[in-house]
Amino acid sequence: MAGAAAPLLELRSVGKYFSDDFSLRDISLELRAGEVHMLIGQNGSGKTALMDTVCGILRRDSGHILLEGEEVDFASVNEARGAGIVMQYQTAQLFDNLSVAENVYFGRAPVGGPFAATFDAYALREDCAALFARLDIPLAPEALVGGLGYGERQVVAVAQACTARARVFIFDEPSAGMAEPEREIVFNVVREIRSRGAGVFYITHKLDELRRIGDRATVLHAGRVAASLPDGSTGREELIHMMIGGTCPERYPRLRVDYGPQVLSVEHLSSGGVLEDVSFSLRKGEILGLTGLMGSGRTRLANCLFGQTRPSGGCVKVEGRVVDFRHPSEALRRGLALIPEDRDKNASFHNQDILQNMSVAALERFMGSYGLDMRYMEELTDEYISSLGIQPGHRSDIMRSYSGGNQQKVVVARWFMSLCRIFIMDEPTRGIDAAARIDIYNAMNDLVTKGAAIILISSDVEEILGMCDRILVLAGGRIACDLPRAEATSEKIIDYASG
Amino acid sequence: MFAVERMNILKSYLRERGKLDVHSISQLLGVSEVTIRRDLEKLEAEGFLTRHHGGALLRSEEEGEGPPAVIAPEEAQDEADREEIARVAALMIRDGDVVMIMNGRIARILARKLSVRSGVTVLTNDIHVALEVAAQAGNKAVLLGGSPDPESGALFGSLAQTNVQAFFVNKLFFEVDGIGEQLQLSVSSQEKAALIREALACSEDKIVLCEASRFSRQAFFRLGPLGLARKVVTNTSVPESYKSRIFAMDIQLYTSVNAFEGGD
Repeated sequence: MAGAAAPLLELRSVGKYFSDDFSLRDISLELRAGEVHMLIGQNGSGKTALMDTVCGILRRDSGHILLEGEEVDFASVNEARGAGIVMQYQTAQLFDNLSVAENVYFGRAPVGGPFAATFDAYALREDCAALFARLDIPLAPEALVGGLGYGERQVVAVAQACTARARVFIFDEPSAGMAEPEREIVFNVVREIRSRGAGVFYITHKLDELRRIGDRATVLHAGRVAASLPDGSTGREELIHMMIGGTCPERYPRLRVDYGPQVLSVEHLSSGGVLEDVSFSLRKGEILGLTGLMGSGRTRLANCLFGQTRPSGGCVKVEGRVVDFRHPSEALRRGLALIPEDRDKNASFHNQDILQNMSVAALERFMGSYGLDMRYMEELTDEYISSLGIQPGHRSDIMRSYSGGNQQKVVVARWFMSLCRIFIMDEPTRGIDAAARIDIYNAMNDLVTKGAAIILISSDVEEILGMCDRILVLAGGRIACDLPRAEATSEKIIDYASG
Repeated sequence: MFAVERMNILKSYLRERGKLDVHSISQLLGVSEVTIRRDLEKLEAEGFLTRHHGGALLRSEEEGEGPPAVIAPEEAQDEADREEIARVAALMIRDGDVVMIMNGRIARILARKLSVRSGVTVLTNDIHVALEVAAQAGNKAVLLGGSPDPESGALFGSLAQTNVQAFFVNKLFFEVDGIGEQLQLSVSSQEKAALIREALACSEDKIVLCEASRFSRQAFFRLGPLGLARKVVTNTSVPESYKSRIFAMDIQLYTSVNAFEGGD
């Protein structure tokens, strides 16, 4: 490689302010043509945010970005794409009702005439088949994407990126949730791109990938570059240490309580290849932490417990009795609540007021002989608004006008109001401000001191260590470890989670 | 049970019978007498009833001569806030702990709440706290020496300060009278500040108790930065900017969230 040539892409002291809690600070790194530059770091360390400033989603506040020696400042993703920079996201945006080939070549289909409408379906299938053969992808080009599993969809998304004509490729955790054969395909795609002389940024949590596919690596921590590694020779322990930096689980408010009897037990649970032989139990008064990388099966486990997905094997017991929920309403009746990961999609009624958002799961409580007791409902809603510090806090406010943190508190209040006893919270503090986080942690204390039990699902290791009594790490759909808080460290958790 | 539900029960009970007594209603509802008294206090403020020793009478229309006795709303809120802070602080004390509770109004409520614990040794400079704990069967009180302040019933001075040095406790609870914009702790007297400083040196875990209304306020004597403590217990209504700043300082912030009704 010509050492004298300017790097393909160079970042000089890039900065971007997000909040008092988080900013990208003084980040400098470079990407050469024909290399794979790995970006690693914990969740929230700034990997994705940094790449967003490169590909035009976010604009930097300070610093320079040079593409082949020329300063660039993209106002949009399309501008960046036009300059030859493409990004592939964590969550694959695919069209379920189109075929694999149509998705792979979407927007770039071989066109037989002057109009896109007359694209050449035959050429499309042939091109796709040739591509798949070269990359060892065992998918049929004509299959519908809607029928594919999670890992297969990821493969389609990665293949889609591969067909782009670009100089800089950014992959954000392309292999998350994939099994080994699928990861091989991702590596094939990345190698092919590299051999064309393009540069690749590759965000990952899987540390073995540094050695397997990376040419060099940068470790981010808390929005800064923690280390630059010229090759893949750095040891695993050292890497983990650099990723952790100074985590501070001591700042979490956590009240310890004496545990009561077992309230939930999960025995040999499995679910369609995503979960396998998962067993654990939860006691009254306990906060059980559940963590793992994306695609490790965390959310599936939550869905299985809550009756959203029926497990394919094993059993779940609530207070000693076997349950088999066919619908979340049955779980709710047995005192289980799920605060789902994606609040926007799964929990908020954006255009309804706070009163309705809060009371919707507890209407039975307000049913009197003359219909709904509105007065009681309103008073109770007001009590929750004040006890959870919901701002601005009028029951007639419309949900969508609230900040993320306050919306989340409304969703939490909903399940409090329904008098559940077992709370599954899936990433309850992701993307919300510190003040709302404090309120949610204290609300969790309120629950456990009054005899409820919590499963806290989080990818924030500091939060898990700060709030939980016991910590389960899921990796590849199995429980990799079950640690009491006193024995758990960030190092151990990341080590188990990274497979 | 939730306050709203309990109040509704109390109201309908009173409407039916015209009077109630605290002891039997607390047994009936399975909550403490103090809870019922607090509810009655609120209902009295609303003008629904009149309290008398041991119970309450429904206030009838005829009887309602003269304006109802009104407690200043801020004072009622402060008292409720102190009660909530004491509730959370009490959850931090485990059986067998050796704790120091510095004088104050939250401290007295906290002392009462320790009756459910056993084997707790409480070192204090507050006569009321000492008497309360001494009366609890399973717990022990140690009162520091010093000169009593007739108004607060607390002991201060060089004797108290020298006394403190003889002990080492697991947890120190101290009340402050102000937490300023710059997160500076302040108290209302110099003797109190001096005694707290001594106490800080002989305890493992340091816990500040402070009502939400005392944030953004300065009392006369400066104690030092919030960082003197590891934990702060306050109310949920504390402004959001304080919450995020305290979290960013790596100090545990406990707020008195009391929302969940499904308790036992």
